[in-house]
Amino acid sequence: MQRAGTSIRLNHVSKSFSIGRKTVAAVDAVDLTIEAGEFVSFIGPSGCGKSTILRMVAALEAPTAGQVTIGDLPPSEMAQHHRLGVAFQDHALLPWLTVRKNVELPFRIASRPVNDQQIDQLLNLVGLSEFDRARPKQLSGGMRQRASIARALILQPDVLLLDEPFGALDQVTRRHLNIELQNIWARNAITTILITHSVDEALFLSDRVVVLSGRPGRVVKVLPVPFGRPRSPSVMRDPLFHQLADDLTESLEGYVGSEEP
Amino acid sequence: MASASRSASVAYGFLGVALFIGGWQLIGAYQLAGLTWPPFTTVISYLIEPSRWGLFSRALEATLWAMGFGYAVGGACGFTIAVAASMFDRLRPMLDTTSAVVHAIPAIAIAPLFIILLGTSTAPSALSALNVFFIMYVSTSAGLAAATPAHRDVFRVLGASKTQQLYRLQLPNALPSIITGLRLAAPASVIGAIIGEWFGAPRGLGLLIVSAMQNFQIPLLWSTIVLATAISAIAYGLFGLIERLIHARFQ
Amino acid sequence: MLTGLRTAKLLLVQISGIVGLIVLWQFWVAARGLNTIVLPGPMSVVLQLLNEPAVYFWNGLHTLALALAGLALGTLLGTTVAVVAWSSRLFEGILTPLGLIFSSVPIVALIPVIARILGYDVRTELAIVILISFFPLFVFTLKGLKALPPGASDLFQTLGATKRQHLAWLALPASLPSWLTGFRIAAPHAVLAAIVAEFLMGTSGLGHVLEGARSDLQMQRALAASLSATVISVTFFLLSAVLEQRLLRNR
Repeated sequence: MQRAGTSIRLNHVSKSFSIGRKTVAAVDAVDLTIEAGEFVSFIGPSGCGKSTILRMVAALEAPTAGQVTIGDLPPSEMAQHHRLGVAFQDHALLPWLTVRKNVELPFRIASRPVNDQQIDQLLNLVGLSEFDRARPKQLSGGMRQRASIARALILQPDVLLLDEPFGALDQVTRRHLNIELQNIWARNAITTILITHSVDEALFLSDRVVVLSGRPGRVVKVLPVPFGRPRSPSVMRDPLFHQLADDLTESLEGYVGSEEP
Repeated sequence: MASASRSASVAYGFLGVALFIGGWQLIGAYQLAGLTWPPFTTVISYLIEPSRWGLFSRALEATLWAMGFGYAVGGACGFTIAVAASMFDRLRPMLDTTSAVVHAIPAIAIAPLFIILLGTSTAPSALSALNVFFIMYVSTSAGLAAATPAHRDVFRVLGASKTQQLYRLQLPNALPSIITGLRLAAPASVIGAIIGEWFGAPRGLGLLIVSAMQNFQIPLLWSTIVLATAISAIAYGLFGLIERLIHARFQ
Repeated sequence: MLTGLRTAKLLLVQISGIVGLIVLWQFWVAARGLNTIVLPGPMSVVLQLLNEPAVYFWNGLHTLALALAGLALGTLLGTTVAVVAWSSRLFEGILTPLGLIFSSVPIVALIPVIARILGYDVRTELAIVILISFFPLFVFTLKGLKALPPGASDLFQTLGATKRQHLAWLALPASLPSWLTGFRIAAPHAVLAAIVAEFLMGTSGLGHVLEGARSDLQMQRALAASLSATVISVTFFLLSAVLEQRLLRNR
């Protein structure tokens, strides 16, 4: 398997927000290096600042203290050079464009010639070849997320950022898309950050799973996932998989009570 | 179920319009409101009498020109300034307040100023433009600001420039709101033109209305108002149709 | 202390556009070398206002009272009729299309017709302001009464609420933002309608001053009346904006 992409370094990163007169710490002193071509998931109770970590890597927020670097560059420069790919829980496809035009969008924004062949390949890969002329409104939730992931991948980014992309889908569709994502990712391992609520999803897809505490988010556990790649769905039936899932769930439960009202 | 309730509301709608016209006719025919309320049929037959077409068409032409100018110039200014306000955040509070205050000035109070600055024949166009301006400014601003945070985030992460974000995200996103603005501007543009004409334009529906009112030409008065209402309603309906098509695609 | 300073600064930025327009006007007059009879500058208009304060004060008061009373009654009527329409499918079916038709109509242009029907009278002026305030309130209140939070209506039905409880606890509070939009639209229209009504038939009020100045070609007088009208209208606008902000603060 080919390892692609760039490493991500979170150097003592903290982030606090001011709400009115109060200052709320969302992320506290997170120190972590994600290797080039590594798939890392962040799980934690809701409101623990896992999305904030992703938003700082995406240059959507600036850390209050510490630094985020991708390769040797700050995230904002990576964004300016069109080297980041992103998919959110909200598919954020443009409703007035067809699926194909939506996937083309990153080419247009980067002012590069549209590579139709590449789009065909990618649409094929995410199973949307026959729907390339459809508008997002005409697609199911799962298909929209596929299109959104295709848009994130089309420029072959150095870093792929996934913020609960399957969070709004039903269990069956979600599992299905997990398997597809793992297949797509295995072809060309891009450095990836996945934010998720699902322990199974994190285990199945990741090289490492990072568990965050309740607010403010701190790293409480980093679990390397021992399964080789490419992974088949049968991994999910492995007793070890269940044991790791139980461990992760347990380390999460310790913080459920600490969630602020 | 949905189509049954839809046809019911269409039926109620026709009932409402029929009651309105029937009421108008009855009050006129039995002179319940005196001699100044002509029956519906009298007004319509007055309006379609060929010998008066010359009179009406000259007035209509002048008012339509003012209205068209109002749409073109007022609409373009409102749109451009809204885009500027969205591109340059610092200008925004100033532009918002200025346009709201200028809009709050009654058109009839600005009329004298326009008469001196621009002359009696241009004043109706300018007032119409001023009325359209504000509606377009508000609807364009609202549309440009309505892009969802998730969409903005995607554009930022993809490294889109402000200009790219404007024409690939915000402008298409604002299109339904802009068309709604054009629809709502229809009566406002007619009002602007007519008030401008009341202040002494050489021709136009407004002039006809005032002279008919002062000279007790009741059928002429009502007919002219029916005409003014019709052009407004037609513009309103036309943009309403475009709005439906656009909404289907853009939302 | 700091926030006070910041508010003052923001206010300064906001009014800079208005000040700019006034300065532009003064420059325009000076540059064109026009005499004050053809085009008075802002300074001479203010001087004119101070020269005969009583004229503008009493006529302004007349206009203000007319607009306020008309707006209050129109608001009351529009809201009531909207509630009636809400509670009866038949009324709603009949009134909704009529409301729609009237929102496409340049209502200010109807003033001469109403003036002729009801006669040249202060009561007619009041009726006109009521009518013009009525439509925005009716249309937006009804829209608001129907724009309930999702699921809320089902909840009330499940709880066995009566129609009246439904109205008092759900529909009326839910309609507040929309009602305020209607009010914000109606407020400046009420002032415009009052002045237009006075302009066309009044024996007092700023509209009447405007009409007199127009026929005697007294531009300073016309613009001084315009300025007084603007003060009233902008005050209405600001008050309705403040009202909206206060009432929606907790939403």
